[in-house]
Amino acid sequence: MDFSLLASTFITVFLAELGDKTQLAIVSISGTSSRPLAVFAGSSLALVLASLLGAAAGGSLSAVIPTNALQLAAAAGFLVLGVRLIRRAAAAEITADATREATQGASAGEAGKADSSQA
Amino acid sequence: MNSEESGELPAEGTGAEPGGAHTSSEGRKAGTATPASGAFLGALVTTFTTVFLAELGDKTQLAALLLSAQSGQPLVVFIGASLALISSSLVGVLLGRWLARLLPAHELERLAGLLMVGLSLWLGRQAVVQLNTPPTGLPLG
Repeated sequence: MDFSLLASTFITVFLAELGDKTQLAIVSISGTSSRPLAVFAGSSLALVLASLLGAAAGGSLSAVIPTNALQLAAAAGFLVLGVRLIRRAAAAEITADATREATQGASAGEAGKADSSQA
Repeated sequence: MNSEESGELPAEGTGAEPGGAHTSSEGRKAGTATPASGAFLGALVTTFTTVFLAELGDKTQLAALLLSAQSGQPLVVFIGASLALISSSLVGVLLGRWLARLLPAHELERLAGLLMVGLSLWLGRQAVVQLNTPPTGLPLG
């Protein structure tokens, strides 16, 4: 086992992947999901499998698979996920505001009652 | 990812036997009916599909790297690359969990949603550009 080759590969790929669009996707999926282990397993599996496919096809993966069409599909998937998240966030904000107002109103009412009972 | 359960963080590895694929689609549609393994598999499948599709066309650099490992041991290079990819996805997951603790759920969901829409536009643009200009010989040698 050539450890210097291993280390140089690791460092090169790791640095190349930091801040990559895939990692941004992983951050956003993991942040909004309650299953970090599933996200980790899924993303690791996908990354390793994709790189294995790339290696097996010998750098000309686009000759074997319509990668551009697949990327378009991925873009559509991202769009759907993103829009769904934004809409869910908006809905959650509305309900949060409503409950906040409701609790504020309730506590104000109780305070008013307490005042009137004291007076 | 598929139900209103962000925020709480239950034991994530509970009913996660990989053979329980029979609950995947039904569990996702039923939502609350099969909480443990259905949600786990749902998140797994969502992440896998998204990352796999997004990464497929992007791995030409890595393929080049692996080809350049014709210097000797492609297996070593593959192991190193895989370890790096796994580590980077671990970093991503931890970053996401950290952000989830830092920000309120709906705030993070909106940010993540905007990020995903941005990523989709980026990916889509890239794919369309590459579709219109077919590669004239890859610089792989």
